Amino acid sequence: MTTEPPPMPLSGEEAATLSALDLETAPQPPAPPLKKKRNLPGMPDPDAEVIALSPKTLLATNRFVCEICNKGFQRDQNLQLHRRGHNLPWKLRQRATKEVRKRVYVCPEPSCVHHNPSRALGDLTGIKKHFCRKHGEKKLKCERCSKKYAVQSDWKAHMKTCGTREYRCGCGTLFSRRDSFVTHRAFCDALAEESAKAQTLSTDDKDGVGAGVTAASSSSPPQPPLTPSTSVVSPTLSIQSSEIPENATRLSPPTTCVAKAVTTSTVLATVLASSAGAAAPSTTSFPNVTAATSLSLSVPLYLSNNVNDPRHHYTACPQPSTTAALSATALLQKAAQMGAASSNTSLLRGLGLATSSTGYHPQDESGIDNPIMQWNMSSHVKQENPSLADHNLGLGLPCGDPGFADVMMGSPPMTRDLLGLGIGGNGGDNVSRGGLSALLTSFGGNFDSSGDAGGVRHQ
Amino acid sequence: MQEEGSSSVTSLSLSPSLGSPRPMLKELRSEERGLCLIHLLLTCGNHVAAGNVETANVLLGQSSMLASPEGDTMQRIAAYFTEALADRMLKAWPGLHRALNSTRIVMVSEEVLTRKLFYEIFPFMKIAFVLTNQAIIEAMQGEKMIHIIDLNAVESAQWLALFQILSARPEGPPHLRITGVHHKKEILDQIAYRLVEEAEKLDIPFQFNPVVSKLESLDFEKLRVKTGEALAIISMLQLHSLLACDDEGRRNPHLAGTSNAIPRQRRQPMFQSSSSEKDTANEYAPSPDSSSSSPASLTTSNSKHMESFLNALCGLSPKVMVVTEQDSNHNGLTLMERLLEALYSYAALFDCLECRLPRTSLERLRVEKMLFGEEIKNIVACEGFERRERHEKLDKWIQRFYLAGFGNMPLSYFGMLQAKRFLQSYRCDGYKMREENGCVLICWQDRPLFSVSAWRPRK
Repeated sequence: MTTEPPPMPLSGEEAATLSALDLETAPQPPAPPLKKKRNLPGMPDPDAEVIALSPKTLLATNRFVCEICNKGFQRDQNLQLHRRGHNLPWKLRQRATKEVRKRVYVCPEPSCVHHNPSRALGDLTGIKKHFCRKHGEKKLKCERCSKKYAVQSDWKAHMKTCGTREYRCGCGTLFSRRDSFVTHRAFCDALAEESAKAQTLSTDDKDGVGAGVTAASSSSPPQPPLTPSTSVVSPTLSIQSSEIPENATRLSPPTTCVAKAVTTSTVLATVLASSAGAAAPSTTSFPNVTAATSLSLSVPLYLSNNVNDPRHHYTACPQPSTTAALSATALLQKAAQMGAASSNTSLLRGLGLATSSTGYHPQDESGIDNPIMQWNMSSHVKQENPSLADHNLGLGLPCGDPGFADVMMGSPPMTRDLLGLGIGGNGGDNVSRGGLSALLTSFGGNFDSSGDAGGVRHQ
Repeated sequence: MQEEGSSSVTSLSLSPSLGSPRPMLKELRSEERGLCLIHLLLTCGNHVAAGNVETANVLLGQSSMLASPEGDTMQRIAAYFTEALADRMLKAWPGLHRALNSTRIVMVSEEVLTRKLFYEIFPFMKIAFVLTNQAIIEAMQGEKMIHIIDLNAVESAQWLALFQILSARPEGPPHLRITGVHHKKEILDQIAYRLVEEAEKLDIPFQFNPVVSKLESLDFEKLRVKTGEALAIISMLQLHSLLACDDEGRRNPHLAGTSNAIPRQRRQPMFQSSSSEKDTANEYAPSPDSSSSSPASLTTSNSKHMESFLNALCGLSPKVMVVTEQDSNHNGLTLMERLLEALYSYAALFDCLECRLPRTSLERLRVEKMLFGEEIKNIVACEGFERRERHEKLDKWIQRFYLAGFGNMPLSYFGMLQAKRFLQSYRCDGYKMREENGCVLICWQDRPLFSVSAWRPRK
């Protein structure tokens, strides 16, 4: 944007707008700016007339309209020239005075940096674009990458370059952005396989790690046309790998782990150092590596993996002392299987649960002989008899006596219900889900909220 | 009594260790005990749901005998579920319940510590941070002014990592503004201090705006979103609590004890009565009674609060919104549904802990009790507005976001790679990460536990 003086005195409309606003004359900036940097080269003109235009004025386009064809123009002069085409009387006005005072413009948005007269912009077009860009609504959108713009010229400029370049990795993935392409190449799985072989071959930690990791991070180490970021990676790696051996002794995990650590932190170092040059990463990336290794294996600040964690209890925990070391998940699955094996009706009925008052009665007869069921029945017995202490829940378990557990475990392999009852007896169809809901269905049938006991007491 | 019971059953018992007529509790193999506990919990849940106080009382007693917060995994899980069921029952006596909880002191430092432990011990948050930050970086390419809204500003590690990445941008760090939302001022102050300090060190122009507010009463004006800045919204395990707000009007009386109140019939005609996970197909079919013209799932049209919140978020026109949520269906209508689901999910989480920390670890105890125990209690014992832990599966969230005008943004390849490498180097083998529909699921042994996804407004 070149600073050009307004070509003519303001039209009536504009002048009215201006007079309505407070025009500050700022021979001296009222408050020193916080930043020393200035956008304009050189010092701003202290004699400049500071003009504050309203947002409406700044956003307005085409304020001069031809009365014949309604074509809009931003400047009166352009309109006049256009009027010539209609054979209408036209008049190009000259500058009122030869001596024009330099004008600078401030942004009307109070929170904006340019609201301060000392940071005013010298160009009318400039301030218009600034306001539109920063404080206006972004109505224009790039179709390809959906980036939004308020100023049309910005948008057009972007459209020229967006998506014009495409990168393709060996594995077939397409990228529109260079940086994501580069980082992908560093980690492409197809390439990782090659590097894995390279890693296992080299046992020597310093060179091996270096070579292995280098191989991992670039498709082929000697390839010259790698992008600058990638080329930064290589020297970074070699710097890091030379430092790795010292850390390797600190690190308990094996080389491959370290290699991964270096790889990960290397990429991060790459991201962090980017194209700052090969030398820079040596200083900046090492703290990252150190931090990474001390936190182990990731972004310095938060992916601490406790590899180096001195706390004991973060080591692999000892197996439980009992022989059966089933995880809770496995237990649930087992219980579900046992429940399913007992054959149950559909899931829905099962989830009907308490409200499904289906046949406790029919099951009565079928299940009576099964002493296991007595557990269930006796629970109904309890509803009748408040003094629970007298009842052994059928199987001796008022106090959690493991006899109960006996019952439970009594029939896992048998077709008899663990819990004695399916809703419809032994229908034989397995619940497709095989989950605990299957188990539930067997519960569901047992508990008739109508409180029917009818059960056989176990005595 | 007991002898009778056990003797009549031992004949059925297949367990060799229980040959003696009165096997001791301790001799129970942990597997049997675990199965027993599962059975007890489910049965008890049934009874609690049905309102059979007496039976539930006995079962809870038994369960408490076998369970223990310091025992093996299943014992621990059972302990917390038992407590939750008991809590639920107790709510039938509101005065009693309130009195028992009246001396409960919740210290902010405790909460902070618990959350910190969760972050340290599990990889979930770290992975979420990696993916989130990477999504932000890529969405904010070339932006000079970045504004991040963190809907639950508790953990500064994420932003510290982001600072590192941003400060290494080739074009220099952008002007960064983070708005943190939390209902406790002290936590925001801590975060602010930490972040400002770090930003100064890295010479990033930074501003932290604290917004002390609960999420459901968040005033969007306070977020101070300005035009011209690039906005990112981050939600870490927060959105599900908003679902509780929609339940306020449909609050069902507490189920424990007095009434048979399994809420099969919801007032809204759209809920299917058996809306378990399995029946998602049914849920998506429009119900004939549906009063909503929305073509999508029934469940979403009942969440006015959530809808309006998401709409408002979309209206802010963020460049990216990254959401991390638990990926389990703990928002079932009936107690048994939730109990079942929660058993599976927390079994997985407790298994993670078992794999990672020894049983004597105090940190493990703390996480189990203060974090998971409380969540379990909320899921099982609470109803209506109190029940904040309304975790849902990812597909429901996807629907909601879609309805609010968001479109999915696939997560960064580089981010996922980083996260994968991190997981591989993690101590426990059970963690898995997979991608689905552009979203990332972090699983333990094939059970998805958390999901991370990125969104942006469609138009």
